[in-house]
Amino acid sequence: MVIQEQMSIQRKLEILSDAAKYDVACTSSGVDRKGNGSSMGNSVGCGICHTFSADGRCISLLKILYTNECIFDCKYCANRSSNDVVRASFTPEEVSELTMEFYRRNYIEGLFLSSGILVSPNHTMELILQALRLLREVHHFNGYIHCKAIPGADPELIELLGWYADRMSVNLELPTSESLKELAPHKSRKNILKPIRQIQLRRESNREFLGLPDKSITPKKIITGHEDGDIKEIITTKTGLVPYQRNSMIKRNYVPAGQSTQMIIGATKESDYQIMSVSEALYDNFNLKRVFYSAFMNVNQDSRLPVTTDGPPLLREHRLYQADWLLRFYGFQTKELLDENHPNFNVFLDPKCDWALRHLELFPVEVNKADYFTLLRVPGIGTNSAQRIVAARKSAVLGFHDLKRLGIVLKRAVYFITCNGMTMYPIKIEENFITRQLLALKDQLPLGIDKDITYRQLSLFDDASFQPEQRITLKLANI
Amino acid sequence: MDEKKIFLCDNSIDGIFTAIYLAWSSGFGHANVKLEEKCEKGSFANLELFSEYIKVNTDLTLSVKVSRSIQSKISEEAFQMVCRVALSDYIGKADLIYRFLIKGFHIGGGILEHLSDEVVNKIFKINKNVGFEAHHLLGFVRFSEQENGLLFSSIEPKNNVLSLIAPHFADRLPKERFIIYDKKRNMAALHIPGKQWILAEVPDLKIGDFRAFTDQEDEYRDLWKIFFKHIVIKERINPKLQRNNLPLRFRGDMTEFEPDIEE
Ligand code: SF4
Repeated sequence: MVIQEQMSIQRKLEILSDAAKYDVACTSSGVDRKGNGSSMGNSVGCGICHTFSADGRCISLLKILYTNECIFDCKYCANRSSNDVVRASFTPEEVSELTMEFYRRNYIEGLFLSSGILVSPNHTMELILQALRLLREVHHFNGYIHCKAIPGADPELIELLGWYADRMSVNLELPTSESLKELAPHKSRKNILKPIRQIQLRRESNREFLGLPDKSITPKKIITGHEDGDIKEIITTKTGLVPYQRNSMIKRNYVPAGQSTQMIIGATKESDYQIMSVSEALYDNFNLKRVFYSAFMNVNQDSRLPVTTDGPPLLREHRLYQADWLLRFYGFQTKELLDENHPNFNVFLDPKCDWALRHLELFPVEVNKADYFTLLRVPGIGTNSAQRIVAARKSAVLGFHDLKRLGIVLKRAVYFITCNGMTMYPIKIEENFITRQLLALKDQLPLGIDKDITYRQLSLFDDASFQPEQRITLKLANI
Repeated sequence: MDEKKIFLCDNSIDGIFTAIYLAWSSGFGHANVKLEEKCEKGSFANLELFSEYIKVNTDLTLSVKVSRSIQSKISEEAFQMVCRVALSDYIGKADLIYRFLIKGFHIGGGILEHLSDEVVNKIFKINKNVGFEAHHLLGFVRFSEQENGLLFSSIEPKNNVLSLIAPHFADRLPKERFIIYDKKRNMAALHIPGKQWILAEVPDLKIGDFRAFTDQEDEYRDLWKIFFKHIVIKERINPKLQRNNLPLRFRGDMTEFEPDIEE
């Protein structure tokens, strides 16, 4: 292990932002917090992107690790203890000053602090806590803070930290406990789920105390995930709450922006069906705000893990995000999108198109009559379009021309809707025909991934039940 | 052939609202009047033959009357939209707003549901564009600290969004003195702690006066560039996506896109 004393702040930032780049976070958290006239900072519910890095991802937070030292040895991680890399650690003062000065200059919306495990989970959490306390109590920072809770740390520390952070996250890392055992031998799934549960319960009790309704706690008819033994055990254990420990100086709510988590995609053999079922169970049972998916990259060139010489499985990651969206905003359930016989998303089509093609009996949908949720299920119609249609048809009977004027993109929707009983062109509602039409649209592949796609990359996601026809593959490869 | 009466007004919310008041009460009839705002450089778009031009002097009392009517007879939301359209770079916005208000005063608050109406639709579109640009700039504005502690930022937006973004920064940085300077329009939003922010014309401001950075400022600029460089996942580099999310036109004023002199 290489430890350098007296490392410059520049060098530390290089190492510790490099080490943090795979973590995903987002500030569109739904938390609106006005400035208070005396301290620095506010928070905007819809999120603000401050810049976009060369990989096209939004930068809104100063995303760093507190330290890249680690006593654990997770096989997929560049900071694992068995790797010989340069190690660095910030001090709480350095973290708080960087955050303040970046924030003043409007470089960032706040801080995203994650960390390797230095000495012990408790020791690391105490350092993180110290950095956050400096920010909130000394610098009176009122902007956004997202920090990691380290699994295995004392519940008391997690309780305390939650009063200083806006969002907390504990990474699930891998979808199943078997995979976790294999690749992250020092972690256990229950140890990860416990703090998630603890934070959830404190949030709920805090919100109840304040009389705040939590919009996201809507009664769902079916709560999924009970077949998952770990989840079931954690949510039925009664000992989730620890004694209340709010510092009276801190006039903040408990983790107001809620929790998120992250899973690595493609390092282990789980199907999309398994992954989405886990996500759904997390949303349903733990009231998570977001599940992030991170395309696996074999940074350690570890021969026990899949090779990623063709690049990370970005398209698969993209499809999972699309499906996640369908769960959260479109009223879909995982079992509608996937099942045991059809366990992976179609890489060629987005999950909604794929679903619609398998349910052509439900189409076409009449734009002037269908209710909001039915409209949402039409490929190409999103929440904005559906809302606009519902508003506009109050004052007029809509034709295709009107839809265009409303800014509704018809190139996909056109196969699935009627206006006044008429389709736009004479269209055969027939699976092969529509599939071919949809595949011809280049927007089925996300920006920048479309060109470089190779057959080998695509084949990463193939399974026995989905063998792309040679013809389609070739067509895709030379877009 | 009937001559059109063209009301020429200043390119500002108050200018446009004054013209609306005058055109409305002129008695010429809606079909016979047209409103035209000065272009941003101060000249008028293109003079039409066979038209009579009426020059409008901006009058705050009349403008306030129009604002109040929109708020009370249509809705607060419609008022906000009209204001954003008035700040847009759309040529012909004064007349568009006039046509929108004719319908709005007739129908009331429900006008915003008439999305398939061409005028309403156009208002929505422009409103959205202006809103997007303002929202972008909340993130893309970059301050640099001057020796005296003042934070300075320059921008070059398509639409005149200064007044839309300044409240956010005044709320966020209540203890800071700051200037956000619109290079294209020679206007600036100024903020002093404890006071309301103000919008001012600053024809004499020289941007070079704000480019002498202190050592500390230089250090933070460097640190930011370091962060910007190291946060990239190389295997995912995707300039197309980056350009789509962050159009080139914003980058000129952003610290992280400044060329490194040392390297
Ligand atoms: S605990 Fe975190 S930092 Fe440490 S090896 Fe595992 S993933 Fe990496």
